Amino acid sequence: MPKKSITIKFILPALLSFLAAVFIFPVIIILMNSFKTKFSIANTPFVPPNSATFAGVENYINGLADTNFLSAFFWSLFITVFSVLLIVICSAMAAWFLTRVKTKFTSFLYILFVFSMIIPFQMVMFTMSKTANTLGLDNPIGIIFLYLGFGSGLSVFLFSGFVKSVPLSLEEAATIDGCRPLQTFFLVVFPLLKPTAVTVAILNAMWIWNDYLLPYLVIGSDYKTIPVAIQYLKGGYGSVDMGAMMAVLILAIIPVVVFYLLGQKHIIKGVAAGAVKG
Amino acid sequence: MENRKVNPLKKYFPVFVGPTLIAFIIAFFIPFIMGVYLSFAQFKTVSDAVFVGLKNYITVFSNSDGFLNSLWFTVKFVVISVISVNIFAFLLALLLTQDICGRNFFRTVFFIPNLIGGIVLGYIWQLIFNGILMNYGYTLTSNENFGFWGLVILINWQMIGYMMVIYIAGLQNIPNSILEAAKVDGAGKTRTLFNIIIPNVMPSITICLFLTITNSFKLFDQNLALTAGAPANKSAMLALDIYKTFYSKSGWEGVGQAKAVIFSVLVGVIALLQLYLTRRKEQEY
Amino acid sequence: MKKSLSILIIFALCVSLCTMLAGCGKGSMAQVYYLNFKPESAKAYEKIAAEYEAQTGVKVKVVTAAANTYEQTLKSEIAKKDAPTIFQVNGPIGYNEWKDYCANIKDSQLYSILSDKSLAISDQNGVYAIPYVVEGYGIIYNNEILDKYFALSSRQKKVNSVAEINNFNALKTVVEDMTTHKSELNIKGVFASTSLSSGEDWRWQTHLMNMPLYYEFRENTAYQNPTIAGLNTTDITFKYANNFKNIYDLYINNSITEKGLLGSKSVADSMAEFATGQVAMVQNGNWAWSQIAGVEGNVVKENQIKFMPIYIGADGEENQGLCVGTENYLAINSQASPEKQEASLNFLNWLFTSETGKNFVTNELGFITPFNSFEQSEQPTDPLARELTSYMNNEKLTSVPWIFTSFPSENFKTELGNGLLEYAQGSKDFNSVSEGAKQLWKTER
Repeated sequence: MPKKSITIKFILPALLSFLAAVFIFPVIIILMNSFKTKFSIANTPFVPPNSATFAGVENYINGLADTNFLSAFFWSLFITVFSVLLIVICSAMAAWFLTRVKTKFTSFLYILFVFSMIIPFQMVMFTMSKTANTLGLDNPIGIIFLYLGFGSGLSVFLFSGFVKSVPLSLEEAATIDGCRPLQTFFLVVFPLLKPTAVTVAILNAMWIWNDYLLPYLVIGSDYKTIPVAIQYLKGGYGSVDMGAMMAVLILAIIPVVVFYLLGQKHIIKGVAAGAVKG
Repeated sequence: MENRKVNPLKKYFPVFVGPTLIAFIIAFFIPFIMGVYLSFAQFKTVSDAVFVGLKNYITVFSNSDGFLNSLWFTVKFVVISVISVNIFAFLLALLLTQDICGRNFFRTVFFIPNLIGGIVLGYIWQLIFNGILMNYGYTLTSNENFGFWGLVILINWQMIGYMMVIYIAGLQNIPNSILEAAKVDGAGKTRTLFNIIIPNVMPSITICLFLTITNSFKLFDQNLALTAGAPANKSAMLALDIYKTFYSKSGWEGVGQAKAVIFSVLVGVIALLQLYLTRRKEQEY
Repeated sequence: MKKSLSILIIFALCVSLCTMLAGCGKGSMAQVYYLNFKPESAKAYEKIAAEYEAQTGVKVKVVTAAANTYEQTLKSEIAKKDAPTIFQVNGPIGYNEWKDYCANIKDSQLYSILSDKSLAISDQNGVYAIPYVVEGYGIIYNNEILDKYFALSSRQKKVNSVAEINNFNALKTVVEDMTTHKSELNIKGVFASTSLSSGEDWRWQTHLMNMPLYYEFRENTAYQNPTIAGLNTTDITFKYANNFKNIYDLYINNSITEKGLLGSKSVADSMAEFATGQVAMVQNGNWAWSQIAGVEGNVVKENQIKFMPIYIGADGEENQGLCVGTENYLAINSQASPEKQEASLNFLNWLFTSETGKNFVTNELGFITPFNSFEQSEQPTDPLARELTSYMNNEKLTSVPWIFTSFPSENFKTELGNGLLEYAQGSKDFNSVSEGAKQLWKTER
């Protein structure tokens, strides 16, 4: 083992610590301001709360009430969890089929799915909200179905990349043992796809949890997810309560950080794996 | 002979692909086709659309209503942020693959902003930028350059961690033997970087460029929350400009849809071109 | 541990999914869907809806569009199956935009209680939208601070009481002199922030702009009133552009906030500055009372809050009153089912004629209504509403109508607001703002 150089031992960690501080700084500022009275925020954002400006948890109480945060949290969670489940299962099935059955039609479908990844949402925002409304999909259950449609492009793409590397022999053996295709898929193939499933789940969860425009346009007037509730807080009651705003921003960050710390290993691996496959 | 054998799976198409395909058709395919048609029409709701030919497209380019301005703003933004995000992310990845204590902690910290949603990010940075600019008698909306650089800083903060993770994965895939061999051959640090490391992480570079280009082109939430296009729509990127044309100006729905078509073509062409070029580079090595 | 936790979460979500599916089957769709325009009234409407459901069992859904997004919200909502049944148009221009959706409500009880039938939006065939609130705006001032100023010995002696402020020059003299005496008056600026952040600039691009164009359209005597003249004007001359600039400059030069920072200010900021006694004046309307009253650390005394008209230096403005009018017209969605239309009218009748409903209107919403179902004693009693009524009843003064209902489009106002922001920040001169306004009027008409 060569001895570590001074650069690696001291200078780099110091530099990185500084950078890490810069990265965390914005969130710290928001956290600090969430405990200040609402009129002391915009004018002195970098001053910590003092006896005159300390507001206790009042902002959190207002923020929770004004945005109906618990309900927003519930809808965000509900939509994200079920959309991700549906996307993982359905697009894995589709990807397996499209890879295993090679016809002109399946190749065309595959290309169509990949194509949809690139198209910006603005292209379909109006017509999609209209279609969703006509078909009665403008509710928290319908939107799950819409997310399946939108998420399938990337997910099918990622799964297909992995299915190609799964040896055919296993599936053939299962078929010979008398497994029907559905059994083969769920008992033999799907367990092998697990690493990709984690990737797909994480990428989609990050997207759906934070998505603003789709839930706003489709279900925004009845059910608000967290991003929609935050945007609404800005102009919803004729004024911006900066205190409540800060508190809600912090409340919105907490679940994300908890989720990240719990599943950190999978998330980092999943993100990296998703990219390498692409 | 192989080809003639009927694949027993084939009849299971409705079971395996059906659900995804139906959702895809409803959420994406039909709206997409309708969208292309509506870009040639004048409409308020879909049912009252009247075909008007190329009129909407002509308006997009002849009218000074801001499309060209936001196109230019977007292109500048994409170029600058793609370069800066990738350079910073790559440098961080190089540092964090060294044998440094606490490197997992640093990776964790740098990755976190990427998980926070665009709307939240926008409001976080709005407070910070306004707080800084206030000392000089400005706000974020004083002129579009503040909004521009604000967005660049924001996107760097958000995406560096993500790209860093991908570059780290790429760097770790380089076999140690190659690096050792380079050392034995007496290659200097710079030469190792350009002749060994970069060619070997080309796949990561491809995907990072793809992700940063498409994400910065499509940026919407952050733009909406940070400046909402102020002042005078000059800091509105394409996605926001299209949204505003659609929903805030009545009688302009067709024009908004035409802008969206142009936007889609633009993003599609650039993304495919980039994939083609970098993939070719991968093969050269 | 982690696994059991995630199983638990998924289980909980499944249960809620099932209960929701069951709930959907029962068809709990609202009969009445009111898309509310006034964000400041959002909370009051929620209470009203709850009360109405408790009394009649009819579910009323109230959705409030975020500030400055009413048109876009209405556009996306009205295309839906469960579309708003009651919505609002902002005048003749708005009606033109939405006339395919405005039911004829000539035979409704709501129309029958409208005191002045000419206020409704109608043509020979029918009545399509009915105003539900009369509002007025001007310069709200804190009389205590003005008294303090007039008691100063070091002040300029040109204008000697509030009553003498009845033209622009007098206003300017007083305001500028007050600015030089800021510290003695213990204020940070004469005017509250000229809020110019996006969606918060309507006090200038709509309300203040009303003044120069009112005087311009008034000179066009070919039509019966300035609003109709405005509606028929394809080219404005913006003859009073300089007057507009003068009053606008007065606002931003004697403000609590530096010009460059106005772009980050909201209406709520301005009202808070006024309520906490940091400024003496703020341009706004009687609807702002709830905002003044709701500010914590509110020091301004209720009986010291007064109105004065906005003076811009036009001829004869000594006899000018406040700007009085409405841009709030209710319309019933003609595309909704007949049952829903009827349910909606019933709800409005209840709101504007029943004792409980009227109590909400007067005390929670604070509306001065144009309906004869309200007695004199049932009008709101907050200081601004009282001031407004006394101005309206003052026979020597002529109220300025809200001719901004004739402005060609929302976009006209938005662009004007953008221009005013750029002017305040010094990145545009006033001439190009006013030229831009003229140009826009033409293209948007």
